Amino acid sequence: MSQRAREEILGKLKGAPKAKTVPRPYVPPLTELSWNGEQLIANFTQNLTAQTGVVHRVKDSAEAKAKLAEIFAEEGLTTIMASTDAVVAPLDLRAWGKEMGVRVLTAGDFADRDAYKNAVFTEVQAGVTGADYGVAESGTIGLIHDRNQPRLISIAPITHIALLPVGRLFPVYESVTERVFGDKNKLPGQFTFTTGPSMTGDIQGGQFKGMHGPRKLIVILIG
Amino acid sequence: MDIKTEQFVDVARKELKNDRNKQFLGVLPYGITISRQRSMQTFADPEAANDYGRAIRAEVIARLSELLEEFEKNAAANGAKIIWAETAAEANAFVLNLARERGVRYVTKGKSMVTEEMGLNDVLQENGIEPFETDLGEFIAQQLHRPPFHIVGPALNIPVEEISDLFIAKADMKEPTTDPVKLGYAARLYLRDKFHHLAMGITGVNMAVAETGSIINVENEGNIRLNKSSPRIQVSIMSLEKVVPTMADAMHMIRLLCRNCTGQKLSAYVSIDSGPKKSDEMDGPEELYIIILDNGRSKIYQDQQTREALRCIRCGACLAACPVYCKIGGYPYGWAYSGPMGQVLSPLLIGLDRTHDLFHACTLCGACKQFCPAGIDHPKMFLYYRMLEAQADTEQKGDFIPDKPAKLFDLWSWGAARAWRWKIAVKTMRPMMNYHAKDGVIRKTVAPLYGWFRTRDLPVMAKKTFHDRWTKIKKSR
Repeated sequence: MSQRAREEILGKLKGAPKAKTVPRPYVPPLTELSWNGEQLIANFTQNLTAQTGVVHRVKDSAEAKAKLAEIFAEEGLTTIMASTDAVVAPLDLRAWGKEMGVRVLTAGDFADRDAYKNAVFTEVQAGVTGADYGVAESGTIGLIHDRNQPRLISIAPITHIALLPVGRLFPVYESVTERVFGDKNKLPGQFTFTTGPSMTGDIQGGQFKGMHGPRKLIVILIG
Repeated sequence: MDIKTEQFVDVARKELKNDRNKQFLGVLPYGITISRQRSMQTFADPEAANDYGRAIRAEVIARLSELLEEFEKNAAANGAKIIWAETAAEANAFVLNLARERGVRYVTKGKSMVTEEMGLNDVLQENGIEPFETDLGEFIAQQLHRPPFHIVGPALNIPVEEISDLFIAKADMKEPTTDPVKLGYAARLYLRDKFHHLAMGITGVNMAVAETGSIINVENEGNIRLNKSSPRIQVSIMSLEKVVPTMADAMHMIRLLCRNCTGQKLSAYVSIDSGPKKSDEMDGPEELYIIILDNGRSKIYQDQQTREALRCIRCGACLAACPVYCKIGGYPYGWAYSGPMGQVLSPLLIGLDRTHDLFHACTLCGACKQFCPAGIDHPKMFLYYRMLEAQADTEQKGDFIPDKPAKLFDLWSWGAARAWRWKIAVKTMRPMMNYHAKDGVIRKTVAPLYGWFRTRDLPVMAKKTFHDRWTKIKKSR
């Protein structure tokens, strides 16, 4: 079916009258490209806050852990799942959690996919992940999903806490997509941009957060 | 979904008397338009940004076959399985067979206009596989068996009391409530269980990137991300015009899409899939199927004018701009696509014969065209459809009207060609035309002109023509 359909469809499209491709018009460069480091941080924060995301800035990993402890206490979090990406893994959250009285799970703790799904959907109160990128133009974080950054950790729990080193902050989406999709042989199975918590306005246009994904998105900027 | 485009006039009449929807439509478009305009101002040069987006869409249409082949090659290299379907029936059959083969009992769906167009839910339901819409608005519309009121917010107009009753009956909600947050939370809990144990998720595609073979979904609720992350099987369905040349083009179009759709700089989630999950990943699909659906589009493509309809990116900006939509809402359009974009797409997908009222229900004011980030000239399209209809075009099924209008104009032309014929016609027509006149205005007349007066008036025909009066004046001097 598919091969015959393919030949038919492409045959018809190719046989249709040709149209000229015209050169693209001039579009001024994005003003965001001129932002320096502090402007990137300020705009990232402002844009994400406008979407009800919460942004904290800390100096280093030690302060990040202290901020996490503060957030956990405020939110009453006792069981969380963390990714094991290059930002989160060095923090050794499991050992830290033991001291704090917080159960820290990772996807690797589970023998199979179903057990992992049971935990991420029903047991954990928050997902803690690193962020591969931040985009200042809209206050967006970018996550490359792989074995150390499972997809459900940042979408299934009701709270998502993301740790973003300031060196990973860029002005516009293209600065990120060039890096992620530049080499066709190394494409991630999934890449996601997240700008604020899950939301909807589908009931009479009134907006509320936490429709299917997190109700809260907290970003800790490190550096 | 049943196609009810032929009932446009009847449903529009009914909706014009629907006080609740009228009140709602009185406010909604203004809010959407203001937030749209505000967000467009974040571009250094909004008009240049729009023009660039329009050029991308024009290039997509010009290079369609080449881009689809490039996308197919790269997506397959990423490990996705590409399925081509000429018709909705073929695409539906593929999804159904796959679900049966894998022993799937239910599926969840992200909001997707193309699956509405295919009538996929009905096919799955009839064959014992329960489809759950998971976008909140779409979930409500599905449970109520209503067409979308708006392509972005399908159930925006439904009163909270009605949603409360619905969720008690069909979504395991225990207590009645009129709090939208509590209602949303009830839907979250109900659908969460479906996501948790999901075997197969179905989504649409906002953009398919040729240079990387990636598919992109843009959403706010997170339901599409759950649809794609939880199950082992992902089926993403795209109509063939969704392809874009490069990732940079996709980013530019996403900026325009979000601003024109909801007035946001970016939706809460943009997820980009390049193949299924890697073997060492814990979640994500083991199998990723991408269905490229034609469903009449390659035929639409044969005509350089009709192919312009394929530029549409489904942002919905034209709905809020349209003075007709803003009076009648989405129901009269009778199918998946409403407002000006529906008036452009539905006639080509279903046929001019079943959509006559759609492309005539337009004052040609051009507000939609001004807003459109994809560069569609809606009024030009409507005039073209009317021309195809007048020419009884068989390709787009425009040959349904008996040749009454043509004969009438032939008669008119014959009568107007000679003064004596014209004079006789005026004398004969005057009493007929003025028969229903009241207070100097003709509001109705006898067939076959009755329809014309349905929405228009004329001043009464003068007792004497200008020539009669002129002759009399000359004689009296």
